[in-house]
Amino acid sequence: MRMSMNWLKEYVNLDGVTPEALAEKLTIAGLEVEGIEKVAEGTNLVIGQVLTCENHPDSDHLHVTTVNVGDEVLNIVCGAPNVQAGQKVIVSKVGAVLAGGFEIKPAKVRGVESNGMICSLSELGVDKKAQTEEQLNGIYVFDDEAPVGETRVLEYLGLDDTILDIGLTPNRADCNAMWNLAKEVGAVLHREVTWPDCKSASQIGTPGNFKVASKTEKCPVFVGKVVNHVKVGPSPKWLSNYLHAYGIKSINNVVDISNFVMVETGQPLHYYDLSKLPHHEITVVDDVEMTMQALDGQDYEIKKGDLLITTGGEPTGIAGIMGGEESKIDESTTSIFIEAAVFNAVSIRNTSRRLGLSTEAAMHFTKGVEPMAPIKAVDRSVQLLKELAEADGFEENVLVGTIEDPVKTVSETLTHCNTLLGTEFTMDQVLGVLKDLDLNPVQDGDCFTCTIPSYRTDLNIREDIDEEIIRLLGYEDLKTTLPTMEATAGQLTDRQAMRRNLRSSLNGLGLSEVITYTLVSQKAIDNALMPLGEAVALAAPMSEERKYVRTSLIMSLLECLAYNQNHKNENVNLFEISNVYAVNTQQERLAIVMSDSLQNSKLNRIDIRSDFFAAKGVLTETLRRLGFAAERLSFKENDQDVEHFHPYRSACVMLGNQLLGVLGEIHPVLAKELGIGKAVYGEFNLELLLASKASKVKFSAINRFPAVHRDIALVVREEVKAEQLMKAIKAAGKRMVKQVEVFDVYQGEHVESGKKSVALSITYQSEDHTLTDQEIQDVHQTVLARLEKDCQAVLRG
Amino acid sequence: MEKVQQVQAQALEEIKACEDLQQLQQIRVTTLGKKGPIQSLMTMMKDLSPEEKPAFGQEVNECKKAVAAAIEAKMAVLEKAAMNRKLEEEKIDITLPGVPFRTGTLHPLTLISQEIEDLFIGMGYTVAEGPEVELDFYNFERANIPADHPARDMQDTFYINPKELLRTHTTAIQMRELEKAHGQLPIKVICPGKVYRRDDDDATHSHQFMQAEGLVVGENITLTDLKGTLQFMADRMFGKGRQIRFRPSYFQFTEPSVEVDVSCHICGGKGCPVCKGTGWIEVLGAGMVHPNVLEMAGFDSTKCSGFAFGVGIERVAMLKYGVDDIRNFYINDTRFLKMFDRFD
Repeated sequence: MRMSMNWLKEYVNLDGVTPEALAEKLTIAGLEVEGIEKVAEGTNLVIGQVLTCENHPDSDHLHVTTVNVGDEVLNIVCGAPNVQAGQKVIVSKVGAVLAGGFEIKPAKVRGVESNGMICSLSELGVDKKAQTEEQLNGIYVFDDEAPVGETRVLEYLGLDDTILDIGLTPNRADCNAMWNLAKEVGAVLHREVTWPDCKSASQIGTPGNFKVASKTEKCPVFVGKVVNHVKVGPSPKWLSNYLHAYGIKSINNVVDISNFVMVETGQPLHYYDLSKLPHHEITVVDDVEMTMQALDGQDYEIKKGDLLITTGGEPTGIAGIMGGEESKIDESTTSIFIEAAVFNAVSIRNTSRRLGLSTEAAMHFTKGVEPMAPIKAVDRSVQLLKELAEADGFEENVLVGTIEDPVKTVSETLTHCNTLLGTEFTMDQVLGVLKDLDLNPVQDGDCFTCTIPSYRTDLNIREDIDEEIIRLLGYEDLKTTLPTMEATAGQLTDRQAMRRNLRSSLNGLGLSEVITYTLVSQKAIDNALMPLGEAVALAAPMSEERKYVRTSLIMSLLECLAYNQNHKNENVNLFEISNVYAVNTQQERLAIVMSDSLQNSKLNRIDIRSDFFAAKGVLTETLRRLGFAAERLSFKENDQDVEHFHPYRSACVMLGNQLLGVLGEIHPVLAKELGIGKAVYGEFNLELLLASKASKVKFSAINRFPAVHRDIALVVREEVKAEQLMKAIKAAGKRMVKQVEVFDVYQGEHVESGKKSVALSITYQSEDHTLTDQEIQDVHQTVLARLEKDCQAVLRG
Repeated sequence: MEKVQQVQAQALEEIKACEDLQQLQQIRVTTLGKKGPIQSLMTMMKDLSPEEKPAFGQEVNECKKAVAAAIEAKMAVLEKAAMNRKLEEEKIDITLPGVPFRTGTLHPLTLISQEIEDLFIGMGYTVAEGPEVELDFYNFERANIPADHPARDMQDTFYINPKELLRTHTTAIQMRELEKAHGQLPIKVICPGKVYRRDDDDATHSHQFMQAEGLVVGENITLTDLKGTLQFMADRMFGKGRQIRFRPSYFQFTEPSVEVDVSCHICGGKGCPVCKGTGWIEVLGAGMVHPNVLEMAGFDSTKCSGFAFGVGIERVAMLKYGVDDIRNFYINDTRFLKMFDRFD
């Protein structure tokens, strides 16, 4: 809301109140002043008269003028197309500072001396919206009465005004009306507020034949009034200045009154030229589809559901947003019809948004109009039309629906108020605030009852009253305490704890966490890994890129990798923990993506490549730390997804016999398509981990008996898996085998083709005695025999 | 007797002159060995009279001991010298860089989120979560946001169908927690999570962002309790001695409602570009739980009260770390992520 200080003075005495001080008080009370601006700025200004005006000899658009400014005649070069001899104009003399800090200095313009400037309103910083086309295109020209030599130019123009730009919270839409806003100003300044006395001004007139009707519940109230005589002419200066300050262009007295009253009361008004309404009838409908021309000359597509004003079945205005071209008020208008109606906020918002037509009227309807506003606005219209437009020949108000003051009372006790707020306010303090706000408090012991004015639609329950009290008495002195209640134990759930452990472990192993967008494209849905189900689609997505709730994390992580590789970031090793969704279901997942190296240093000859095995190590170590030992995991042939993964370098990761996820090298075709290098990706279902039993940390005695190592090199068929060999060894050696490690796999020279050599290191150890040579030899032989039997493995010669 | 002294002197001379471990070994063998001069002195014993024998024997033994001791001493010196030479050869350039180990980093939003969770866990709060694909019912209806409110418009909210949407605030979690409590007091929860709004992404807007909201419901919970709790949070998040300030505001689910400013952690309240010269930074929205919200969830609003507050995680991260563009959090440039790998 743009509040003009001059306008405000119509209702409140502002003596001794600076805009800054008022801004501070309003802000503290919850009406946040977001900006303080001068309507116009300029020092060293004077009203001058152009004596002579010649074309500049060296320019096709500049003029050389002499201007009488009272005590001297100045030579001024002026570029404005509309400058003429005889005009009275605004002159900024040498030394003047205009809007934006622009300083006037003596100058030579193409060889001609210029001592000052003839100003346009824009150069004084006047809002372009408040200017006429003529004013925008050239210098400002006074009427003939302007006194030459007058230096208080801004005052003479009525532009010596300051605007407070107030950001209103949605509950205080009432303050979009100057009258109501003035009440708020009165409350923070503890000063009386006087509204113009126009109550019942519209209760005059003779019976007429104008009919109004509404065919939709979205227009429950419609007040109309015929005024058979008005005189259209220019507005008085104060009126156009107030509207300029607010940001509305002055058009003529009648139209300006409708806008002025709208800003005063918050009730959008529409005045029709009565003679241009072919039928003395107006009906509000919302079931028409058509194209209509509004008074901005544009055509608008009206759809079913849009509120429309019709007369004789023909449209004449987009209700609550903009009137029609045909019934527009102009210089020839002599009689008018006043409309003050209530239109449904949501409907107006939707129509206004769809048509891209956001007018002042639409803004007021959208934010809410108080129940008594229509009648207040018609009353005030009648008063001002009489005063400023020689209005006469009134007919009685015509009405759809009823307008009733919803007399509303709210009671509160001092005790409850102080208990809720934690304050120690006295009854006097509280009653003082409520009186300042015109809430008419009546005290009865500890209790007080407020009668709420119609415009305060936000005050309905006792807590609303408590808020009024605290916001005006100030939050500043509020104490700080902590809740007193029984002790509660703060803690994380198993899920939250697991998530933190995962992050901690993965961080330790060198992977960094990312958070990527939940909303993805059709392509990402098509490329989902272990898709959860039918993707959740947005009803009205903002773009093709963000259309669905993701069902898998793969595309998000690979895009993230692509971004980093495109930006030459090396060794990108990332993870994300996020929910994925499908219709009626959700699942929390972990995704990892790894590329280049996990740890490397040329100098130190270290290079842990981010390959399948590094990723497998990261996963197994992390799961082990979470209580899922490697023995519970198995890596099976990838039968889930060979489109995204290298078919021979990827695996299904099983926990017990359930699918935990897929891990593997990204398929080179997909990598190429996404513009990424070699990368390993894995995605895992964390719900399975949460549902599975994790082993607890448990002490076991440190084995004090010696361990014996035996290294063997086995020749096996190519397709025999390392895991088979290790399982055979453990099965044969039972509890005496403490550890088996593969330390080399070799194929090539000295190994028969179709076979490979696998070198393993076996550690034998007993928990209760030192193994004898014989025992070791026996168990080792058993192991070798089992290897031969199960895997046809033979010791390499 | 002179012969013994002569042998000893010569041996000691040789030992003294020796500068090589191997040579010293050789000296040991030649001087103390069976064919060495000391041994041959012993063979002279047989030519002596029985009276002379003990004294001579003792003399030779002394000589042998002295020579052996001298060899041991010299041996130690030479060994030490040899060790020193070896160590010197193993000299490294200690100014070469250490192994550049890389540890992974937590996402900055996780850092802030966890910090908030932990400080409230310390005050006895539990951490509550909820679905991001949420019911209109919990996101709006239960939060006292009427059906015709602009926030419930398709333009501002990602609706899936008339009943489901992507939650627009973590208030939805609070509403679920209130319902779950079945009227049992007290409730103390902190609710972090991702939320979504139909905004175009730019430097200060993101269609996806994170919030954390807190909710306390009990008997006689007051606005001053809210202020005390947020003061505690401000001290922990932005450093000791931060002031907080309440300004009136409006949220449908609280009454009274406040905006909460924290005194600027950059300039300490003097005014700087971060706080736009005001000395204050708007960080939170908060208020006393609206009686309608309590009643809808089955609480008797005449017998209990509560407070709620909400903070934007990105906002806190941007303030705390000086991040100037919200999109950084979702681009995940590893150069950006690395900036947050320190204990802070």
